[in-house]
Amino acid sequence: MMKQQVLEGETPMMKQPGCVHCDGGRLARRDFLRVGSLGLLGIGLGQYLQVSRALASQELAGLAKRKANACILLWLSGGAPQMDTFDPKPTSPFKPISTNVDGIQISDLFPRLSQHMDKLSIIRSMQTKETNHPQGTVEVMTGHRPNAGIKCPSLSTIICRELGPRNELPPNLVAPLPIKHSFAPYKDAYQSGFMDARYDPMFLPDPSEKDFELPDLTLPQSLTPEAIEDRREFLGVVDRLFRRKEQMAEFSTLDQYTEQALGMLLSPNVKKAFDLTQESDETKDAYGRNKVGLSALLSRRLVEAGARFVTVTGSPKSYADWDTHADNNKTMRESLGPVLDQTLPTLLEDLKQRGLLETTVVLVMGEFGRTPDINTQAGRDHYPDCWSMLLGGGGIEGGQVIGASDEKAAHPIERPTSMGEVFATVYKAFGIDYTKTYMTPVGRPIYIANGFEDQLGHPIPELI
Amino acid sequence: MRLKATALSAILIVMIGGYRLASGAGEIETQAEGVALVGDRLKFAAEAFSTECAQCHEVDGNSDLPRLNLVDDVWNHGGGPAEIERTIREGVPGTLMKPMQDRFSADRIADLARYVALLSKDRQTANVEPEVASEAQASDAPSQIPDPERLPIAPPVAVEGLTLLRIIPPAPDLWGAEATQRIIVLGRFADGLERDLTTASQLKLSDPAVAGLDAEGRLVALQDGETQLEAAVGEHRAYVTVQVNDSQSNRPFSFARDIGEILTQHGCNTSDCHGGVKGQGGFKLSLNAIYPRDDYKWIVEGGVYEVLTDEQTESPAPRVDKEQPEQSLLLLKPTQTSPHGGGKVFARDSRGYQTILRWVRDGAPYGEASDEAAAVITGLEIEPRQTVLETDGRHQLLVTALLSNGRREDITDQVRYKSINPLVAQVIGAGEVRGMRLGETVVMVRAAGHAASARVGVIAELIADYPEVQGRNFIDEHILAKLRTFNIVPSGLSRDEEFLRRVCLDVTGTLPPVDRVREFIADTDPDKRDKLIETLLASPQYVDYWAYRFADLFRVYFDAQQSPQNTQLCLDWIRNQIALNTPFDQIARVRIAPEGYSGLTMQYYRIQCEVTPQEIVAEQFRVFHGVRMECAECHNHPFEAWTQDEFWGLAAFFSQMTRLQNPNVLVDFPVAPGSPPSGKTLTHPRTKQLVRPAVLGGAELPEDQWGGLRMQFARWMTSPRNTQFAKATVNRIWGAYFGRGLVDPVDDFRSTNPPTHPELLDALAQDFIDHGFDLKHLMRVIAQSRTYQLTGDADESNHEDRVNYSRSLPRRLNAVVLLDAISRATGVDEQFMMDVIGGGPAPPRTRAIDLVPDMYYGHFLDVYGRPTRQTLPQESSDPTVTQALHMLTGPAYTEKIMKEGGRVNRLLKSGTANQEAIEELYLAALCRFPTQAERDDLEKLIDKQESREKGLEALAWALISSREFAYTH
Repeated sequence: MMKQQVLEGETPMMKQPGCVHCDGGRLARRDFLRVGSLGLLGIGLGQYLQVSRALASQELAGLAKRKANACILLWLSGGAPQMDTFDPKPTSPFKPISTNVDGIQISDLFPRLSQHMDKLSIIRSMQTKETNHPQGTVEVMTGHRPNAGIKCPSLSTIICRELGPRNELPPNLVAPLPIKHSFAPYKDAYQSGFMDARYDPMFLPDPSEKDFELPDLTLPQSLTPEAIEDRREFLGVVDRLFRRKEQMAEFSTLDQYTEQALGMLLSPNVKKAFDLTQESDETKDAYGRNKVGLSALLSRRLVEAGARFVTVTGSPKSYADWDTHADNNKTMRESLGPVLDQTLPTLLEDLKQRGLLETTVVLVMGEFGRTPDINTQAGRDHYPDCWSMLLGGGGIEGGQVIGASDEKAAHPIERPTSMGEVFATVYKAFGIDYTKTYMTPVGRPIYIANGFEDQLGHPIPELI
Repeated sequence: MRLKATALSAILIVMIGGYRLASGAGEIETQAEGVALVGDRLKFAAEAFSTECAQCHEVDGNSDLPRLNLVDDVWNHGGGPAEIERTIREGVPGTLMKPMQDRFSADRIADLARYVALLSKDRQTANVEPEVASEAQASDAPSQIPDPERLPIAPPVAVEGLTLLRIIPPAPDLWGAEATQRIIVLGRFADGLERDLTTASQLKLSDPAVAGLDAEGRLVALQDGETQLEAAVGEHRAYVTVQVNDSQSNRPFSFARDIGEILTQHGCNTSDCHGGVKGQGGFKLSLNAIYPRDDYKWIVEGGVYEVLTDEQTESPAPRVDKEQPEQSLLLLKPTQTSPHGGGKVFARDSRGYQTILRWVRDGAPYGEASDEAAAVITGLEIEPRQTVLETDGRHQLLVTALLSNGRREDITDQVRYKSINPLVAQVIGAGEVRGMRLGETVVMVRAAGHAASARVGVIAELIADYPEVQGRNFIDEHILAKLRTFNIVPSGLSRDEEFLRRVCLDVTGTLPPVDRVREFIADTDPDKRDKLIETLLASPQYVDYWAYRFADLFRVYFDAQQSPQNTQLCLDWIRNQIALNTPFDQIARVRIAPEGYSGLTMQYYRIQCEVTPQEIVAEQFRVFHGVRMECAECHNHPFEAWTQDEFWGLAAFFSQMTRLQNPNVLVDFPVAPGSPPSGKTLTHPRTKQLVRPAVLGGAELPEDQWGGLRMQFARWMTSPRNTQFAKATVNRIWGAYFGRGLVDPVDDFRSTNPPTHPELLDALAQDFIDHGFDLKHLMRVIAQSRTYQLTGDADESNHEDRVNYSRSLPRRLNAVVLLDAISRATGVDEQFMMDVIGGGPAPPRTRAIDLVPDMYYGHFLDVYGRPTRQTLPQESSDPTVTQALHMLTGPAYTEKIMKEGGRVNRLLKSGTANQEAIEELYLAALCRFPTQAERDDLEKLIDKQESREKGLEALAWALISSREFAYTH
């Protein structure tokens, strides 16, 4: 465990996204790949992943034995108030309650969740920098602060890239698309950034809406599989000349994707995975018949069927319900608390009963925490300096508390924790070499687990 | 059982898809089990090595880190075939070398091991010191392939067809005692190639008392004077006059030269090792000895480099021991007497060791007492700058240091070489380039913080009757000259329909209407192409398209804190500049130093948060100078001669901005002439001092000149004297027209990423400056060139060329252009919805290129990866499975083809015959007539469908889903 010291009030100068160490000698290979020689061999251009040479610890040898194979991220979009949720403080109107783990208390908003704290651990000393939603989302989802010069890949795309897809299912999904309007500033946070786009997520519609249908995975009613075959026959004629003329590496990728797409469209497994009608009314009631509940249920079906990473947007109404600038206490009490306390325990229990909790990492977090003081509108504002998150499953220990904050949950007083450490913990659960770096187009390696000051983040030893 | 020379090159030729079989390649055998490592097995091994091993070991096995190097003949885990196999199979516990036995079969692991042995052995054969192995040993040791003793270092050079001989350097000038100078004898042959004949020539000096020749064929200074050097090959002679000066005086010691050179040559100060940003193992050196003063301090005074502060956290420990010189860390580590993560770098009897030891014994001086010692290297020259080799060919490079005292010095033997694509050509020993397989590579040379590069082409057999090709303008002269040298024949001119589609998409981002296609193809006017170019450059679609391109580059985006009206003002400003064809330097100055409500300062925000001056300056450099400087924010740039101080000096030009509260506009803090600045200031992160603005290579601006800082910066950046602005701009536009920049990626200029056509880049930049930064002129010159107008049809000599513009290459249409093309081809406009609160549908006939990404939503555009403009546009967008799905199910592909009022619908209603319908759909989508075979086959397919409607829909779908449609070509 690296000891991190972050001094209050000091602006860290290393704000370039993840410059690990600058690496001129490595350019050779990038240029080589660019020339396309490997393309002739049919080797994917996306494979120029860098292996960090710096830290070849004994730990790595054991990575292969890890068993996580999927991840569900319950995304508290807007940013949850740490003192009102998992780091209860006297400054919060909500009272601490005991849980099924001795010595761990959470807010009384979560009586049901309190009986599942053996499955999840709490980090109470999360620390990030960005103070607004799109930037904070980028920072938390990629481990890197946003920058006009470079886009870094998200945790979801990294996990999918390292593991590859399963059972013809799209590996990376977001249930549902967080908002239709003005989503562009957030989009970068979910994507592959400078890496190739093959593991970019598929954004799903809201499963709680009446006419829930998958835009790209459903054939229009007028189109039968036979009609597609007919159309492809036409395409065979139209493409004939050009195919004869040009051979490019990109083309074989396209062909491969077309086959995959057809596979997905026609696969009963894929169809079934998205079909919520196969779930009983009791199950739906247990999860909650709202956007969050049904999306979480869908995420369980998807993971069971083979998806690698499902992000569940955890705001029941609009995009950023957790962004409680006004009436924080009321919203928490009436809407946000109850929804989370219904869905999350149900999901954990369901995963457990199906034996999926052993192989599925569950993350619960938002883009930052909220201010220790209540503002003039009885709300709390954005606060990245100290916040809390939950994680467990997939071999990550539950029932632990990592770090601690001061009396107002304003600053970590013990073990400030970076996104890089959380990422490294998750990677380790998957058996992914967390010391890996990816090479940016300029030949700058960046850590996939990017910790404070762009140092390598290490797994949290108590958790994995 | 012995192999032909350069076994590896032959193997690699086979491995690259089996396009070309070198003679004898098919017979390559390993001696291990008599199993040939050929065909698929070789291909597998090469592929597996590239994907699994090259990440750490490099593609040629020649990693800069000794413990990862597979070709230095040092085996940490055994070098026998069985041992290599075991290492691959079982891995090395505690390292990143993981066992592969679960992933590959035993056979495949054996093949991979053999491949590793081959890589290593081929390298060994090339080394200057071949190991002496007896016949018996050689035949017993299976890994000894090929036998180094049997390999001719250079194949015999035939001299038939030699027409002219010359010697480089043309005027050798030796300074100082024991000065040496490498010489190269070059022969021009009737086939047009210039070959290195140095080893085949007889060298003679007219006055052997003045200079001699050493065993390596280098000139050695003996006494002051002049002598003539004669080179003879057969009947041919060449002469140069050799000057020897100061032959009795030794050059005084200089740390920068003498020690820096050793550190660079042995790779101690590469960015992988101690030259990395933080150094390695607590020991930091400047990259390639660029800052010798710093190196001297780290070595002689000691200390551990801290990135974030100037202050020392630990007491320094010197790395030289003046009392016991042999105990200096600087000697113990590289000889691995003391454990060294980088392994053994040199031996005790090496020149490097002895030089360092002597230096420490002399008290480790910095050595700049005299002017001569203080003479530093100010630049490197490499000759020849461009070399063409046959596979198996070799060529010596010559590297000359330009010194600050005006002299030149041969440092061929003292620099570090690296081939960017070692599969094409490798550099062996001191600057000997060996051709490996067809292709092109760049050899980088580094010394004293400087870099230079030479381009090396490896060609197949020469084309005997290389055709005369007439160019149209200066672009073609440069392109054709290089193609001639590299023995690649350009394809012919494009067909009219090919050119029409390409030029319409490149100039206007828009497909031409069907009538216009018919008209152009039928037109017999010989000037019709030039006329079309003018029509397009004057069209409103040109304005729409380039306004969109520059809005991407200038990152015009709406965000929640801004009004749609403000965003529209920015767009309108760009659109007006494009419509008026405002000189680009003016556009750039406004972009760099925007003022007023319609200015582009809003890009300096990310929703409420002001962007730092550092980030702004990094973005401006990338956009307008094509340079990625951001590394220098935190430390001296690792690849380039930019210091952190210089970066902050530039950033300071943006430090005086202040924000007007409502609306969100930034202005420079007003400073009255002669008075001190009163706005914000910038603090240097390391020194914690006030940063004063300074342009690259310029002095700091005194504080009474801090008025209008951003405009001062903008003027400097866009000045005609600052040719980098013009180069970056022409390169960006070139990239838009050809799919790759002369420097590629287009915004990544650096010495380690040299242009493919440096002279052309200079000429284009000069032409752009001479024409007052006229964008339309630049695009006209490009579009009129023969190079741009070549066909995409490949021929025998150019089908593998991807960088020399010997033919037109396909380029994928981006998301917005593709969507507009689908709308145009199907005759059904897209209806966009405004994506902000209170938004509604976009006005009718709005096209995707008219949109600001976060103001209008479009599922298609999301799926196909429209840039969000939160970051600078990326070079390429990759295909995804979601796109493939969308093509089968998405409304753009499924609904448009059947929509009421669309093209198919209209054709059906009007009762157009199948043949004519096929023709119109082809013209609309592909801008060409269908071939007879296509007509026949498609008509049959249409007839087979249950209805004519289904048939035409299927055809329309096929056309917009085809590759020919989705690419510009």
